[in-house]
Amino acid sequence: MTVTSTQRRGGGYLERPAPSGLADVVELILDKGIVIDAYVRVSLVGIELLTIDARIVIASVDTYLRFAEATNRLDLYEKGKDLPEVIQEMQEGGAQKKTSGAIKGVKKAITGGDDDEGSSGRPAKKSSSRRRRQEA
Amino acid sequence: MEPSPSADAANVGTEGVYVYGIVYAEADRLTADLRGICEQPLELISSDSVAAVVSRVGDADLSNRRELLTAHARVVEGLNATGCVVPVRVGQVMPDHQAVAAELLAPSTEHFHGLLDALLGRDQFIVRAMYNEPAVLAEVVQASPEIARLRERTRELPEDVGHADRLRLGELVANELDYRRRGDGAIVMDAVSPYVAAHVMHEGTDVHRLLEAAFLVDEDCRRGFEDALEAIAEAMSERVRIQLLGPMPPYDFVGG
Repeated sequence: MTVTSTQRRGGGYLERPAPSGLADVVELILDKGIVIDAYVRVSLVGIELLTIDARIVIASVDTYLRFAEATNRLDLYEKGKDLPEVIQEMQEGGAQKKTSGAIKGVKKAITGGDDDEGSSGRPAKKSSSRRRRQEA
Repeated sequence: MEPSPSADAANVGTEGVYVYGIVYAEADRLTADLRGICEQPLELISSDSVAAVVSRVGDADLSNRRELLTAHARVVEGLNATGCVVPVRVGQVMPDHQAVAAELLAPSTEHFHGLLDALLGRDQFIVRAMYNEPAVLAEVVQASPEIARLRERTRELPEDVGHADRLRLGELVANELDYRRRGDGAIVMDAVSPYVAAHVMHEGTDVHRLLEAAFLVDEDCRRGFEDALEAIAEAMSERVRIQLLGPMPPYDFVGG
């Protein structure tokens, strides 16, 4: 019997977001698992294609301009501060960017818009104990 | 092959049999509290040493995608919590119980049994590592004189001027990030690889993401795996966030 602990160990830097809804589920399972040559298959084809396309890394003009803008916005050389201190301030104040728009679009299509962001800081809900079987 | 005890006469037409996953064939594998799509009871259809977990569905049941996805995930999670399961992809429906036994299970019993054996006593986790953008951009500026120079030049210019320079700046930054992603991703992989039985890399578009992968981890190695991740998360904490999802059913390790 596996005893699971929800107590956070160590410095608490590893984030364990709790599963927060349908959007997370969709992303994890939509195109995974055994495919049966079945006579009926729920038509998720359009959504599958969207999901797969969204996973291709694309280097584009938009991406480059965004990086340029973000780099320009860095406030690196404030009077009297050295770089590590400035970085720490940015980390404390900086907003984290959201995931790419394509993935969010897919989630919206399926969940009807209730796209919950996984929250950090709470221990993940772990599965209950599993029986360990002995091989014959 | 045995039809479920409560099976009615085959009801083809608008009804079918929805398949959630494949498990070892055991008498008490299912628990009564775990229900399928639209709260239908789950049934076990066996063939030799393996069995499919199914429930009856009609066309109306299949039209509600939210219910479908939620129920599917819930059933597979529930099966994973009480034993070993090979997840089947969302939306797989067969005509009737006989088809499940004869067409799905019987031709592939050894294959499914082999998969179950390979998954036994193991859990899947997903690890995501993401850059803290300001921190890593500051690194990049500091490391590359050309980037620093372009940055100085372009930040003074109004929006409509210096487009080519901005493109060049962005491209250089993107390339630097690609380079760092590979190195930092390898650092995370090296930290966990002693504790994992298998892994599958995930491709992604998120420019902040330096790594996402599914890992199959023996129960005995789980503590070491989590400790290694905690340690690497702390070591990289100024520039990288690491998230751990799971344990979860082994969606990434069954092929299909």
